[in-house]
Amino acid sequence: MSAEFLLEARQVTKHYGKFVALGGVDLRVRRNTVHSVIGPNGAGKTTLFHMLTGTLGATGGSIAFDGQDVTREPAHVRVRKGMARSFQVTSLFPTLTVRENLRLAAQGVNARRAFNLWRSPQGHWSCAEMVDRVIERLGLRNQERTAAGSLSHGQQRRLEVGMALSAEPKAIFLDEPTSGMGIDDLDDMKTLIADLGRDYTVVLIEHNMGIVMDISHTVTVMQQGRVLVEGTPQSVRDDERVRTAYLGSMITGGRK
Amino acid sequence: MRRNIDIAVALGIVVALPLLLSSGSLASEVLIYALAVLGCNLLLGYTGLLSFGQGIFFGLGSYTIGLMLTRTGLPMPLALVASIILGGLAAGLVGIVSIRQKGTYFVMLTLAFAQMFYFLAYSVPSLTGGDNGLLNIPRPPLSAFGVVLWDNTTAWQFYAMVAVIFLLVFVALHRVTTSIFGRTLLAIRDNEVRASAIGYNVPRFKLLAFVLSGAVTALAGALNAMMVGVAPLANAEFHVSEMILVMTVIGGAGNLAASLIGALFYVLAADWLSTLWPRWLMLLGVLLVVISLGMQRGLWGLIEDGFLALTGRFKRTGEIRVEEKQV
Repeated sequence: MSAEFLLEARQVTKHYGKFVALGGVDLRVRRNTVHSVIGPNGAGKTTLFHMLTGTLGATGGSIAFDGQDVTREPAHVRVRKGMARSFQVTSLFPTLTVRENLRLAAQGVNARRAFNLWRSPQGHWSCAEMVDRVIERLGLRNQERTAAGSLSHGQQRRLEVGMALSAEPKAIFLDEPTSGMGIDDLDDMKTLIADLGRDYTVVLIEHNMGIVMDISHTVTVMQQGRVLVEGTPQSVRDDERVRTAYLGSMITGGRK
Repeated sequence: MRRNIDIAVALGIVVALPLLLSSGSLASEVLIYALAVLGCNLLLGYTGLLSFGQGIFFGLGSYTIGLMLTRTGLPMPLALVASIILGGLAAGLVGIVSIRQKGTYFVMLTLAFAQMFYFLAYSVPSLTGGDNGLLNIPRPPLSAFGVVLWDNTTAWQFYAMVAVIFLLVFVALHRVTTSIFGRTLLAIRDNEVRASAIGYNVPRFKLLAFVLSGAVTALAGALNAMMVGVAPLANAEFHVSEMILVMTVIGGAGNLAASLIGALFYVLAADWLSTLWPRWLMLLGVLLVVISLGMQRGLWGLIEDGFLALTGRFKRTGEIRVEEKQV
């Protein structure tokens, strides 16, 4: 297990009955880089994400995170080891405020402390410092007391990323953070993710090629449950097989 | 500050009941069912679990106190504690089996356990008295070292003891629902998948909520048996589960004072309307329909909106209501 790679997945498979969603995927993610996973719809990107973060169990293969085997660990245990994820479909606590959403996410790392039946989350239990830092980073200072369900779509998408940040993770898994976003919000999100890549290891699923090509260090292209190509954004863009997989259309955008 | 309002409402009703009602038993009944509703609300309103099995714990509490007071020399407070512990344990057992199942299947499992408990109670008459119930349960005074501290002979004396217990449980549950644990339950209610993704072992949190709920409900069952002097088979019937759930929904889920309002409304309506019109449950049906269709915060929501309208702060907006005061 090398220190160079934070995450190493080997031959990960996922079967749903006879249907093979993942047919043996290898993925190695370098520390403090932005590693994007792209591919046409149905390529298995989100399934791979579920395997890596523990939302669903893998049928076969192994996953090592920061030198430890986590293949059989459920999602909440992986969080304690430093994995945090955002969801493709916004998944927040809609009746709770932005602050409370982030506080819960920050506290999740020490989830056992949350069995305290007597203390209310105040003082050093409030994770205030962490929550303030994340709110600042997300630019949601004016909305901190708003219920998450009342935020605009763009704000919800940013809070979605913030939920992952609050856990003070080593790696952040972002599942299509820009999905459904308007053009105005896209640049903010791009800046945010590029910024995260400096402090954390970011694994990104994204359809917006502009963002992927501009901010990724490594790009893995998936097709039909397997890895098709992996390399720098430049080499992936120029790869003939990738052009065929995408029918030559989407991959052309985003040249700097 | 809303926390204090809830406690003030509870205290106000507890003090007002003896002034407004002529029957001490009726007043006690209100608080006893309110206790059971608090337990149900912890599940439905705070954790998002719909349990049709609350009658198990209510019935178990009745039987436990009955056995303790008639067959053992256990002092009354300890007999109550025994009921609480057994209620919690039973909820733990039911919970371990049911809690991982989602939605309909969880509901069905609690329903199945409720039916099984009823027939279990029916088939061991040596412990439960079977069809007749456990008879001649005494209502001993509260005493320490042979000195009587509080006599429970009259209905109003008993009410006073129930009132103190109710307020203690109410304040304790208030603390629990505003605690770190309680706030985490709200997160689980809002979005289980996300709660799990940010590090919470969701089934454990649900299980603890279930155990607390079972313990409080068993306490209510025990006090009920002491009040009527019998632990009837009816206390283990599915109807009890249903009644507790209906009171919870009518009052409004997700607020503890609402639970007291729900029990108050149901018990008093049953008492008054049943003498006027034997088919009064039909009216209750209509009310449930109205609440389910357009008034999902229950009577408590109605009172809250009425209060805000009076003080001119009522806003009819599409905004999502923020859950309680935030830290």
